Amino acid sequence: MINANNIALIKKDRLRFTKNKLSSGLALLAIVFNALYFVDVYRSDVGSYFYNWTIGASVLYNLIFMLAAFLSSEGVKNYKLGYSYVLMALGLGEIVRVFYIPLQARNTTDPTITTDALTELVAKNETVPTVMGDFQFYFCAGCLVAAGALCIIAGVVALIKTTTLIKYQAELEKNSRGSKS
Amino acid sequence: MSDLKLQHLEKIYDNKVQAVFDFNLNVKNGELIVLVGPSGCGKSTTLRMVAGLEDISGGNLIIDGKDVTKMPPKDRDIAMVFQDYALYNHMTIYENMAFSLMLRKENKNEIHQKVLAAAEILGLTDQLNKKPDQLSGGQRQRVAMGRAIVRTPKVFLFDEPLSNLDAKLRGATRREILLLHKRLRATMLYVTHDQTEALTLADRIVCMSMGHVQQIGTPLELYDSPANLFVATFIGLPPMNLFDVTVQDGKLYCDSFSVDLSAEEKALLAKYDGKEIVLGIRPENIVQGGSITVSVFSNENLGQTTLVNGAVGKHKITCKFREWSNFKPGDSVNVSFTRKHFFDKETTEAISSN
Repeated sequence: MINANNIALIKKDRLRFTKNKLSSGLALLAIVFNALYFVDVYRSDVGSYFYNWTIGASVLYNLIFMLAAFLSSEGVKNYKLGYSYVLMALGLGEIVRVFYIPLQARNTTDPTITTDALTELVAKNETVPTVMGDFQFYFCAGCLVAAGALCIIAGVVALIKTTTLIKYQAELEKNSRGSKS
Repeated sequence: MSDLKLQHLEKIYDNKVQAVFDFNLNVKNGELIVLVGPSGCGKSTTLRMVAGLEDISGGNLIIDGKDVTKMPPKDRDIAMVFQDYALYNHMTIYENMAFSLMLRKENKNEIHQKVLAAAEILGLTDQLNKKPDQLSGGQRQRVAMGRAIVRTPKVFLFDEPLSNLDAKLRGATRREILLLHKRLRATMLYVTHDQTEALTLADRIVCMSMGHVQQIGTPLELYDSPANLFVATFIGLPPMNLFDVTVQDGKLYCDSFSVDLSAEEKALLAKYDGKEIVLGIRPENIVQGGSITVSVFSNENLGQTTLVNGAVGKHKITCKFREWSNFKPGDSVNVSFTRKHFFDKETTEAISSN
């Protein structure tokens, strides 16, 4: 039966028969946050402002991210080591994205405002409207950070579990070879 | 494991059809009881009442001294193994076996140990990562049993678990169930219409017909001392030969033969003198040599034995000879009976000294 000494062993042994649902679930959740991010960007004027190759690249990256994250979620579920690295890379990519469209849009003055109106606002010391408002910026950045963090956590968890399993299986193999000889 | 008591159990459906009549049975702790009978005799209904899948119309069901008649199935602590396995095809064998414990929110490490222990017992350790559709029928049935074992229930119920398997696999799985019972010493109720399963597995057999219990006893009791004509003809393969005979002057007279009675048999049939009774002869209790002439219809050599089908007068007869024989249709063979069973023609009950 279970005691303090063999709990660690049982946990390791369980990996042989259970899937890594935690990493898989986290990766799928990351996809959801990424989706929230791009839906919010594309539905707003931000999308219109970046209506050039940038938005094309963004759309393409979102598609690649979702496909890669989904495949990785299936991969890590079955303890494929390579996919944990892919997830971590995707996570870092998501965090880097905060500095691209959301931050750029937030630091860019709204192009629909005329020069006169802009001068007047500056003269009155009022806030100059930007392509992306504060609330939208925090929401978008939050989504990207959340997606990135979830991917990284999923990747790290998968890495730990997979290496543990690989080592444990090697140990079992060694023991069974030893008992045969 | 626990005692199980079925007291005056009855099942009446909404359309007033009564499927089970006054079923009484005390199952001792660790006993394997087989309910056997033809299709529609009420054996599965009885099992389903014990499981809680059918409401009990009358009587009481007591498990371990506790009346569970009105208790919902989940609280009865019973595990059931179905004929069609009822496995989740999208789950691995490990997950199938662990599923019920996960639903109970048991500790995952304990679940793991229980599943591995059950898999070890059933020889499924190497299959745990496979899906049910990757396994053979026998292995799937073992998984279904494993799912029951991990729960360590008070009572195991088996509803014709081997019916979907081919003959060879059925024999192998039957032996596995027997070994499992010996190992677990679990209280088990097993339903089948296959008398071979009943005779080989059971500690005691409950033979049923038309919702009524016909006889409860050990396999040997049912084979050797059937309580009535139904049990006599249902248990035993090929079935018992039956002859309408008249008892007269210490002899049995049939239309085409007569048989001498021993002193013991004469005493047993004393009150039937001059009356008609039914004489039952098992095919294996017929030997070559004697005064009764059988006209042969067919000869079936089975290797160790030979089945000879024929007729004695207007009665059909099946003989099971130990020796290899090559009778041809139309041949005659003289036989005698080594063991006789007697039944009251009116009540169909066995005539015995008890």
